[in-house]
Amino acid sequence: MIVAVFFIVGSQKICAQSNDSLLLQEIESLKARVEQNKPGKSIFMLRGYAHSGFVKTDDQVSFDGGSFNPLLMFKQSDRLLFESELEMELASDGLEINLEYANISYILTQTLTLRAGKFLTPFGIFVPRLHPAWINKFPTKPLGTGHSGILPTADIGVELRGGAYLGPLKVNYSLYAINGPVLNNGADEPEEGGKLHYGRFPDNNNGKSIGGRLGILPFPNSSLEVGFSGMYGLVGKDSAYANTAATLYAIDASFVKSLSAIGSVIDFKGQYAAVMVGDAQYPDHENPDELISFTNNSSTYFAQFSIRPALISTPVIRNLEFASRYSHIQTPKGSEWEVNQNQWEFSVNYWIDWRTVVKISYRSIQGEEGHEEGEEEGHGIGEGNGLFIHWAIGF
Amino acid sequence: MKKKYFSILILGVLALTLSLVNSCATSSSLASNRSGAQLWGENCLRCHNSPSPETFSDTQWDAIVLHMQVRANLTSNEAKKIVEFLKTAN
Repeated sequence: MIVAVFFIVGSQKICAQSNDSLLLQEIESLKARVEQNKPGKSIFMLRGYAHSGFVKTDDQVSFDGGSFNPLLMFKQSDRLLFESELEMELASDGLEINLEYANISYILTQTLTLRAGKFLTPFGIFVPRLHPAWINKFPTKPLGTGHSGILPTADIGVELRGGAYLGPLKVNYSLYAINGPVLNNGADEPEEGGKLHYGRFPDNNNGKSIGGRLGILPFPNSSLEVGFSGMYGLVGKDSAYANTAATLYAIDASFVKSLSAIGSVIDFKGQYAAVMVGDAQYPDHENPDELISFTNNSSTYFAQFSIRPALISTPVIRNLEFASRYSHIQTPKGSEWEVNQNQWEFSVNYWIDWRTVVKISYRSIQGEEGHEEGEEEGHGIGEGNGLFIHWAIGF
Repeated sequence: MKKKYFSILILGVLALTLSLVNSCATSSSLASNRSGAQLWGENCLRCHNSPSPETFSDTQWDAIVLHMQVRANLTSNEAKKIVEFLKTAN
């Protein structure tokens, strides 16, 4: 009997030892696999966004090609980041590819980052923050913004930027030197004399444009931000325009808040921007031998409001968003590219997930387009109404 | 010129009104003391919907938050808190 008990206990011990050893082997094997797949400090990611849809205006009824914007991101180390965005857009004569930005960022301190390369110009809030299709609450843009608008988009240079706390206030800031705007002197295109072009390379003069933006967030929850932007630089090339400078400034505001009382998130954004170019004379469009002059000041503003019942429990309702936006543009009176227009946009959006949206939008434009015809969206657009149904995805 | 000053005035009045509305519902704690979850919700929402933490892996969040630190002018401390939150919540 005793021998039998010893035999059973002994055999159980051997089994347990055998199981422990198998377990240890399995743990070692898993450890080895984890070690093999352990991520390094460098990380490469492909992100971006795309959009497309349907448009019905007085001039066209068409499916709209939209664009595909791959964003390449390479985290070299905890302090070093390279990022670049391409914009691939269908145009009437084929595919257009543009380099939206390509820059390197180095985190200098807790509150300061150095950025160099081509970057979105920190001027106002629409271009640097709100223009991607999956962020923009409308398929269209405010008047005066975008690639053919009157405001800076992206440029090549260096920038110091960051954020910091000043007591109860949070501030964010940016100071940069870039090639800056290029003045069209009208020699080749009299109809564009006096216009500024942005993001041109190489620079047309030795003077660099200096600019910056200061954002103030007075509340700890960052719900309100008021921003002030400015830029100054020489813009001309030839002797007649050598001293022609441009001064730009913008004031922007943003207020975003979850209001549990109405189960919704409300979002207000606004921006006023002005562009002032020094006095100069440009060839007359009708008679290029004659020179004309005008006060070369332009301005544009927009205000948008949206509400999304995101705190409601019913999924279909909480995924809905209602948005409206008003924008205005005024370009120099007496110039060949004079525009004085207003635009209203209304949109009902349905969010499939946090970065995928379907937008059904109505747009109405009123006002004078001046002499210029066929201008693309974002500057002078023909008067009239339009219906847009677009999808946008961020990834 | 009148229009310009009028627009600036409107923006100023609007900012003041929003300030007063917000001050009723604002926590008295300093912004620098906010948690990673709070910073994630509040800062992302300023431009776009707050991302679901489970969208990306820990490693991917490291890169994305560095990208957003630069883009959204976050301090290093804020970025660190946000990435720690996302890694625990994904």
